[in-house]
Amino acid sequence: MPSHFLFLLIFSVLVSTVFAVLQKDSVADQVRFALTMTAGFVAFAIAAGWLMRLFPL
Amino acid sequence: MRPDSSTRPEPRSPRTSTVRTAAEADRGRALALCVAAWLVPGSGHILQHRLGRGLVCLFVLPLMFALGLLFDGALFPLTPITQSPLTSAAALAERCIGAPWIATAVAGWGRGDVVSPTYEYGWVLMVVAGLLNTLVVLDAYDIALGRK
Repeated sequence: MPSHFLFLLIFSVLVSTVFAVLQKDSVADQVRFALTMTAGFVAFAIAAGWLMRLFPL
Repeated sequence: MRPDSSTRPEPRSPRTSTVRTAAEADRGRALALCVAAWLVPGSGHILQHRLGRGLVCLFVLPLMFALGLLFDGALFPLTPITQSPLTSAAALAERCIGAPWIATAVAGWGRGDVVSPTYEYGWVLMVVAGLLNTLVVLDAYDIALGRK
């Protein structure tokens, strides 16, 4: 079974792609925005995971 | 007694009528584009010659919905909102993707597998695909009205 992290990456890339093409006009800006947003998704998920480690319920 | 001229309505000029009719036609065209954009994700942009945005949405949104189905996601039933508001909201969101939802419902797919480890990922992908298509439709509407 694929890992949770892989699912996170798939979701992040797909959502970031759509937001990038809606928000930006030039291809370079769209690519930069998509990569930034994907990195933000992954970073937030990892940070939230470590934060939830403090509450092992 | 002579009527007060200040209470007489101003005569409508032919130019005002033409401008108002053109605005109504633009709004009607924009709404038709919204229906097309809902039915086929990205078509609202393609029809307005924004090929980049349109083709990306045409590819990504159905792919997202299909991946959700592949991951054992479910099509939610449209229950009364007082009975299960979250299920109703998810059901409405899934319907916003248009033709992929219609095809899935007609084919009888999307029953989901609650015990599958990927079930949650599946239905989340399907719901988010519908919600993103809502944004795409609104973007197409803004383009049609000349705001973008």
